[in-house]
Amino acid sequence: MSAHVDGAAGIQPLPSPGGSAGAGGGEWSPYVVRPDSAFDALYARLLPQIQPLVAQYEQKRSALIPLAHLFQEHEGYVSADAQAAIAYLVGEPPAVVESTISFYTLLFRNPVGKYMVQICRNLSCILNGADDIMAYARQQLGVAHLETTDDGVISYEEVECLAACDRAPCAQVNLEFVYDLTRESVDAMIAAIRAGNYPVAPLPQTVKPGRTWKVEADTGRKSAGAMGVQQPNNAGGVGDASGMIMFDLIVGKPQYEQRSNERLLRETNLRPQPAENGHH
Amino acid sequence: MANVITPVLTKGIGELNLRDIKVYQEQGGYEQLRRAVKDMAPREVADICNASNLRGRGGAGFPTGRKWSFLPLNGRPRYMVCNCDEAEPGTFKDHMLLEETPHQIIEGILIGAYAIGCDHAYIYIRGEFKRGYEIMRDAVQQARDAGFIGANVAGSGKKLEFTIHRGAGAYICGEETGLLNSLEGKRGEPRLKPPFPAIKGLYGEPTVVNNVETLAYLPHILRNGADWFAKVGPERSPGYKVVSVSGHVVKPGNYEVPLGTTIRQLIYDCAGGLRPGRTFMGVQPGGGSSACLFEEHLDVSYDFDSVTKAGSMLGSGAMVVFDDTTDFVKAAYALIRFFAHESCGQCTPCREGGHWIEQMLARLLAGGGLDSDIDVIKSAAHQLTGLNLCALGDSIEPFLASVITRHEDQFRAYVRRAPQTAAAG
Repeated sequence: MSAHVDGAAGIQPLPSPGGSAGAGGGEWSPYVVRPDSAFDALYARLLPQIQPLVAQYEQKRSALIPLAHLFQEHEGYVSADAQAAIAYLVGEPPAVVESTISFYTLLFRNPVGKYMVQICRNLSCILNGADDIMAYARQQLGVAHLETTDDGVISYEEVECLAACDRAPCAQVNLEFVYDLTRESVDAMIAAIRAGNYPVAPLPQTVKPGRTWKVEADTGRKSAGAMGVQQPNNAGGVGDASGMIMFDLIVGKPQYEQRSNERLLRETNLRPQPAENGHH
Repeated sequence: MANVITPVLTKGIGELNLRDIKVYQEQGGYEQLRRAVKDMAPREVADICNASNLRGRGGAGFPTGRKWSFLPLNGRPRYMVCNCDEAEPGTFKDHMLLEETPHQIIEGILIGAYAIGCDHAYIYIRGEFKRGYEIMRDAVQQARDAGFIGANVAGSGKKLEFTIHRGAGAYICGEETGLLNSLEGKRGEPRLKPPFPAIKGLYGEPTVVNNVETLAYLPHILRNGADWFAKVGPERSPGYKVVSVSGHVVKPGNYEVPLGTTIRQLIYDCAGGLRPGRTFMGVQPGGGSSACLFEEHLDVSYDFDSVTKAGSMLGSGAMVVFDDTTDFVKAAYALIRFFAHESCGQCTPCREGGHWIEQMLARLLAGGGLDSDIDVIKSAAHQLTGLNLCALGDSIEPFLASVITRHEDQFRAYVRRAPQTAAAG
């Protein structure tokens, strides 16, 4: 317990390139990269919050996720510069920081919309009509799962159980709960967001988002099963079982209207087999 | 009707603003912490917990007092970590307790920390509970200002520090060693056990990880005595439990009942029964990881041992109820997709098995399935169990196996269904 925070109180503005990296992370090196100098202003502004955040843990690496939350709250996502700053603060290589951040679904490594709409797709919500709500929301927004609208305002994701099953189907908008979803309430939500009078604050947006901020299998939890649905030569987008097309790696258009059995058979790596091949 | 509901943790919710420390203290709050640190030795507090037969409310149902007793007497620092990473499908009790009674949780954590001789407690809050995190942050500040957290707890001269840690979206961080890795700033991948956290936990030191609900019962057990808790319900599985009931019921919600209440009472007396004109098809009694139970199990006593004996588990205490409109193929798909998505990827049976079963069910639902798929699913499902570092891989199979055994016709019907055309969907 005596080893209370190695040097948290000594966290200073980022040292200049080429100099010593100081208390945070030793020498600058190929593994400890200095964030771009454009990041210095934000870093300096957040220093008063960074210090207590690091100080509340007995080992500074514990502050990795809280620091990622903090930078995301100000940049809208955890930028490469933010990752480099976190690496400096916790004394780990940026690769370790990126690997860790990629594990968590609420930390974005690419820009997202001002409103992150996350509808629950788990059991209790499905039993209460979430399938219809999700299909309707995709249609109204003109996006698929894990996509952002062309104007960069709304990002849409279908997420796992949000622990509000008594008010199913439920969703979160910028992590504020929305309960008892109906088509009408989805309409009202989208209209209010577009009109700028939705009662939840927008996320900061420092960079205009692209079509998607990640691919489905890219949760840092790679799987051969998951890899099968994102062959790089598959330019037409990929599908999941509900028939929606989840993202498009190359072409920038949503493919949600293309729901065909052939696509699904091709893209799930499962082809019809003779019955005797059922066991291996 | 509904006379089985016995509010203990849930007392005052919806009537009082228990987020305010003054209101909580008017209800007797923080008195038991004060009493523990001033008048009792840590050993005495642990003995009372042990005598109450309190079992963990997070999923595994392990006796809390025994978990504490595994801590070695080696003079090393110890940690108390409260697990508020509630993400088991169907469970929403900790979410409610966090937002409605944060001080009860803080008091429980501090009492538990004192009992195990630890002076720094952590609470790991699920990333999605942003509002709950803010409520807890305010409550901790109030408790700190009132002298219940810090260097001199309730004037006793004893030190109890408290840190809130917010996760960032990963079901697997509810597994205790995954949680500890996440708390250390790493990927939330579970560790090989043994060593268990009691020997090597947070920062490599002896650690206890307890669920929110488990710890929240501690002030009540101290106030009313171990017997008050131990005498309720079955001898080996006593006390009260907050049960989250959802799915096809008229009044979904959290209902706090004595263990030993029947499943029928929970569904019909507490949750208002099924929608008019519907008949009962099944219930998942312990969250997404538990096997489905059917009509013949309605009168099973809802306690750890009886539900296990019936072929399922009490788990986190989340009931998802199915009526006769349920498509069990879709239900199974929703859960398998969840486990496949949340697998951390360390163990091959879980990482690959989950994804392949997900894809087979996907093809079945799309109308392209084969009869042999169902045989493969049936043989694959139980090849996942017992082969993984943690319980996630073991959780893929129970629900799927139970419904495919009981309702194989529903699965076969999808095979015979004509493939969807390009326009359908």
